Amino acid sequence: MSHEGRFGQYGGSYIPEILHNSQQQLIAAYRSAMADETFVAELEWQLQHFSGRPTPLTFCPNLSKTLGGAQIYLKREDLNHSGAHKMTNVIGQGLLTKRMGKKRIIAETGAGQHGVASALIAARLGLECTVYMGAHDIERQYPNVFWMKQLGATVVSVESGSRTLRDALDEAMRDWAQNYQDTHYLIGTACGCEPYPEMVAGFQSVIGNEVKKQAAEQFGALPDKIYACVGGGSNACGIFLPFLDTDTELVGVEAGGIGDAPGEHAKRFHVADSKPGIAQGFASLFLQDDQGQLMETQSISAGLDYVSVSPILADLEAQGKVRMTSARDDEVLQAFRTLASNEGIIPALESSHAVAGALREAAALDPSQKIVINISGRGDKDIFNIAKAVKDTQFNEFLAGYLERETQA
Amino acid sequence: MSSLQKYIIDQRESKPILLMTHVVYGYPTVADSLQLMASLLEQGVEFLEVQFPFSDPVADGPAITAACHAAVENKPELAQYLVDMAKLKTAYPDSRILMMSYLNPLYRFGLDRVVCLARGVISGFIIPDLPLEMGQQFADECINADIAPIWLATPDTDEERLKVVGKAAYGMLYCVSRRGVTGQHTDQLNDLSSYLQRVKAHVDVPLGVGFGIQSPQDVADLTGQADIAILGSALLNAFNQGGIPAVQQLVASLR
Ligand SMILES: Cc1ncc(COP(=O)(O)O)c(C=O)c1O
Repeated sequence: MSHEGRFGQYGGSYIPEILHNSQQQLIAAYRSAMADETFVAELEWQLQHFSGRPTPLTFCPNLSKTLGGAQIYLKREDLNHSGAHKMTNVIGQGLLTKRMGKKRIIAETGAGQHGVASALIAARLGLECTVYMGAHDIERQYPNVFWMKQLGATVVSVESGSRTLRDALDEAMRDWAQNYQDTHYLIGTACGCEPYPEMVAGFQSVIGNEVKKQAAEQFGALPDKIYACVGGGSNACGIFLPFLDTDTELVGVEAGGIGDAPGEHAKRFHVADSKPGIAQGFASLFLQDDQGQLMETQSISAGLDYVSVSPILADLEAQGKVRMTSARDDEVLQAFRTLASNEGIIPALESSHAVAGALREAAALDPSQKIVINISGRGDKDIFNIAKAVKDTQFNEFLAGYLERETQA
Repeated sequence: MSSLQKYIIDQRESKPILLMTHVVYGYPTVADSLQLMASLLEQGVEFLEVQFPFSDPVADGPAITAACHAAVENKPELAQYLVDMAKLKTAYPDSRILMMSYLNPLYRFGLDRVVCLARGVISGFIIPDLPLEMGQQFADECINADIAPIWLATPDTDEERLKVVGKAAYGMLYCVSRRGVTGQHTDQLNDLSSYLQRVKAHVDVPLGVGFGIQSPQDVADLTGQADIAILGSALLNAFNQGGIPAVQQLVASLR
């Protein structure tokens, strides 16, 4: 547990005074819920029966053999309901919303994964749901918008600024400042003011705890290395935190985008433009210019396309407890193909970053070593991006034909 | 007593209410914004609140957010901002300049460096994303430089919190008129009286009221209840519609 939500020099609570009461209420509610056996039991029940936890730890015989290095295991967060680890967090915060007696949730979303997960839990728990999404992301990710609407959520298109995740988060904070009396802001990653980083990482830590148990059952030891992609940092925190201060090496993989120039990537570590900053409620590393203005980011995976990173990870990296690396779009697509064709598993493009980071290093490891890759989500949602990247012309013909039939009808 | 508070008390001897007008530095250009500021000071507003624009202004509504985004495109620099404010301060010594900024541009520049360069130019800082608990050290540095760290209260600030805010209050207190962000109109400003009474029970510095103040009627409603009426989005909207003349007309009508 952290003091005032601080993690080393990062974290804290940098929010407008208007949100003070609401934040204090949330901190108190979270602490009391986690100390309440009934709440924890209800959480576990929902994780199992609504989302399908525990998710498997799947050995990859073909890939391990082909590479001839470490034994490769996948943590199958893609098998959660909604197809990503995001579900775990929304179940936790959804139950907390009910406990606080609030009737509405708001969420920010980039790719729409967290938006869909929020809409699902809202429908199940009988909560109103408003999702803020950048206009640019809505154009790129309409299928998720479609599902949110089917689930009864209101999707608000954010037209300001760069019209992406960062702006959606700003807009969600504005809604929170207006409506905190009946509304909980359900943040989708381990960022934001106290208690969000600790709370989201805490709900997601079920991932790492399951891996510990499954590793013991399957190979009687802790993994040598764990790889996770790092957007805001929730799936990485979730799988890493239970392994802190063990011999397991923890490796985060960021979005390398298309290059190293400003605006071409979403790397918050090891780049000159990323510096300690304070925005969106918390202190962490932010991609920013010399005047402290936040910068644009880019990635083939919308879920990693974020200007900052969890203060928990920023601090762990500074302490040398987590190693950060990155993978560019082309290497990520290659990793996606390799996993799909060798093991019959379709990873999300976000998760494919973790796969890329691991494949790069696995061959050089000893066959006695075991590595775990967190498959944070499944890749079905990426069908448009992947079809485009692999230049599947038949996909375009299908879309053209669909449009033609629909406009005639 | 801080110079800011003394100034407010002096001014209030002859004026029933003071005006604070908000301008975004760099919108639509740096030169245009400076011209607007000079015209407001020329008109005799007591306070000029100058916002250094930030890419992610979470406490601002659509009008100010759009102005900030447009201003950021012009790549304004904080060092130049302070130089420009010093010039205005010299040209209009009878008014006071307050700096409004989100934390990150200040943090990037160096908080102690800002305080050092702002000394004698800026009378107070308004930083909407710096809560009391996180700003102790900065507040002490400001006070040493005779700059007021201006804290905020809101209608939902409870008694317990008001005691804390009251203890920290320095120079003046910024009373937010309602929930939400800047921009929307605040209905029934006269309902403010019980809120402001509660605040006064715990706070002994002058009070400014902002968020949604738009019209002569709003300013009249505040007169007798607060020391300063703070206008932001209303001025910006006037500027967007009719440039500096429209702003001057609005300001002239206010009291
Ligand atoms: C499948 C998947 N993985 C990873 C992420 C990145 O988020 P985080 O870093 O919080 O795990 C997202 C975000 O949308 C996602 O959908």
